[in-house]
Amino acid sequence: MRRTASLVLLAFAVFFTALSPLLRWYAFPRLAKIPPGQYQDMVLEARPATLIDYGTMKARTVPKVTIVQTLKGDVAASDRIERTAGRDVVVWDALSYVAGPDGKMVSEIPERYIFDAHSQDPVHATGEMVDGDPVHRTGIEYKWPFLTEKRDYTYFDAQTRTSAPIHYKGTRTFRGLEVYYFEQTIPWTRVPLPKKMPVKGITPKAVEKMGTTRWYSTKRMFWVEPVTGAPVNGEEIHREELRGGDLLPGGGKVTAFAGDVRMRADYVDSTVALVTSQRTLVLLLTSYLPGGFLTLGAALLALSLHLEARGRRPATPETEAEPALNPV
Amino acid sequence: MRALIAAAAGLAAALALILTVTAVGAPSGTTSPKPLLTTVPTHP
Repeated sequence: MRRTASLVLLAFAVFFTALSPLLRWYAFPRLAKIPPGQYQDMVLEARPATLIDYGTMKARTVPKVTIVQTLKGDVAASDRIERTAGRDVVVWDALSYVAGPDGKMVSEIPERYIFDAHSQDPVHATGEMVDGDPVHRTGIEYKWPFLTEKRDYTYFDAQTRTSAPIHYKGTRTFRGLEVYYFEQTIPWTRVPLPKKMPVKGITPKAVEKMGTTRWYSTKRMFWVEPVTGAPVNGEEIHREELRGGDLLPGGGKVTAFAGDVRMRADYVDSTVALVTSQRTLVLLLTSYLPGGFLTLGAALLALSLHLEARGRRPATPETEAEPALNPV
Repeated sequence: MRALIAAAAGLAAALALILTVTAVGAPSGTTSPKPLLTTVPTHP
């Protein structure tokens, strides 16, 4: 009986011990992924900000400019791309909608971002674009990979349509979470005018015809929770200028938009809450369960060996003497 | 010999469980009916 129990315990010991590395190094990389149907919105504000007045072509200070960012996963498109890519793919349709203090549109830039659901590596497929312009992304955008490392990453900048390093600048504590702080500076770069202009009758083509160009510079900061790779806070010191041409004769320039853009406090709270719950799920697969299974396996093995040893122990003198007391 | 069979059974069960779980994976879900926002939401 004891030997049967020890064999059963041995089987369970091997089961749990084997489950530990299998879960961490086989299952986790396959199970941890961005769901293709995710929908997320984010509100950022610059208080105060500088905005161009297209009537006078002069910059003016406004109390607030709001940026509403929405990410929406297109499940049908990801299924279609997965069939040819042969891996799990996420297709995000994104919109960065900039609203002035009166709530009216200042600019809106749509994007289609296609990437590997596990690694966040970009996947190149038809439809990948920024504001209708086809792009070929390298690096990451919006989110870091699961188990983010303390190193520089390549981050895609939608305004310039190029990728540049985003530097790891150290570990910080944000709302009780350990986060990695990343920083990227985009120097003054000429960028395309948005396809949708805020003033009726003005088109980007008409502005370009007049020889006026749009320039942009930013310092981008992210506080990234490393287990999930999700930013829990973001800030951007954003500058945009219109330069030269018939609109600004004599090589003049005017600020089109400038401000220190920060996540709205209620969105920081909800993001921290969401990331904290997701973090627990990831830790369950990477630490808690593998660690627990390994300990359980070791305990069961010890118990199995103990039972086996007891089963093999020679019989005690009392039990040996027993037959002698019962003569036939 | 019986110990070896028990260990092999435990290992096979672990492999089978992990392979099944990863093969099933997570459901892909559906595209959200919510639009891309062009107004400022009052709360998350």
